[in-house]
Amino acid sequence: MNARSDAPRFLNLFQIRFPVGAICSIGHRVSGVILAAAVPLVVYALDRSLAGPQAYARLAAALATAAGKTAVVVLAWALAHHALAGIRHVLKDVDVGASLGTARRSAWLVLAVGGIIALATAVLVA
Amino acid sequence: MQFLIYRYDPQSGARPHMQAYDLAPGHGEHMLLDALIRLHEQDDSLAFRRSCREGVCGSDAMNINGRNGLACVTPLASLKEPVTLRPLPSFPVIRDLVVDMTRFFRHYHAIRPYVVDDDPPPERERLQTPAERAELDGLYECILCACCTGFCPSYWWNPERYLGPAALLQAMRFIADSRDHATGERLEFLDDAYRLFRCRSIMNCTEVCPKGLNPNRAIDRIRMRMLKHEV
Repeated sequence: MNARSDAPRFLNLFQIRFPVGAICSIGHRVSGVILAAAVPLVVYALDRSLAGPQAYARLAAALATAAGKTAVVVLAWALAHHALAGIRHVLKDVDVGASLGTARRSAWLVLAVGGIIALATAVLVA
Repeated sequence: MQFLIYRYDPQSGARPHMQAYDLAPGHGEHMLLDALIRLHEQDDSLAFRRSCREGVCGSDAMNINGRNGLACVTPLASLKEPVTLRPLPSFPVIRDLVVDMTRFFRHYHAIRPYVVDDDPPPERERLQTPAERAELDGLYECILCACCTGFCPSYWWNPERYLGPAALLQAMRFIADSRDHATGERLEFLDDAYRLFRCRSIMNCTEVCPKGLNPNRAIDRIRMRMLKHEV
């Protein structure tokens, strides 16, 4: 017996218990979106920083605000997590860490190191 | 024990809802399926599939406390209460915990799950060396319960075009078979942005396989064979 095309489907992501690998993967996506969206802002910031002492000072002042510091920390996390999760995938593609136990440990490691780098950045810019 | 079970009756026209049950497991009732059978005695409108009751037929796959598994091999003692049971995520629900597996089996049939050999049949069996036979280990044990495919985010978002981990593990099972003569055709069929390459190596499949298999590793092996085939 086939279900009707309007049959319900259970797919509430808040009611699904995700393994650590899935959380690492969601982080990979989110960090990728953040990095892509931040490219124009970062290019603009680089341009301003090279435009002269006054523009540089204005940029430094903007980055010293709470919003500026938050953006720097978020970007640092996104860059660290995305790069580390990417390396994890590349290693897996050449058959390093493809077993479930190793994949779980490497996912934890990516989450932890990404978090530590974000925390260190927060301490540096505080 | 407290249970919360997804209920859906297509005849009633009502939306799915969660129903609470209370049950004291009897003597010798250790597995979740034992509890479900007892609950069914209390409420015969509760629908679920089961057959072998020992992890071989793959009928009673469901989402158990947020993770997919087989009710028959899930010990009650391992479950936090309320034990929350829902149908396999993303599969169309026919009734309660019974889902429509049509698309799942369509993907399975698409990978041609049989040895292809157009040569005349030999007088005796098509023999394999022990090493050739060992290539099938970790692949042939799949019972097609759909725990993996129903827990794969890539499948949730692309169920029509992505074959899903179960069908891909089965595809590798026949690619790895020394008696099969269609490896090239199989690899060409799978060489597609969706059919195979929608896998993002999240490994949810491997996390929930009740047989302890690693479908993600099988997918990696197909990719590696594809690379060697093309070089």
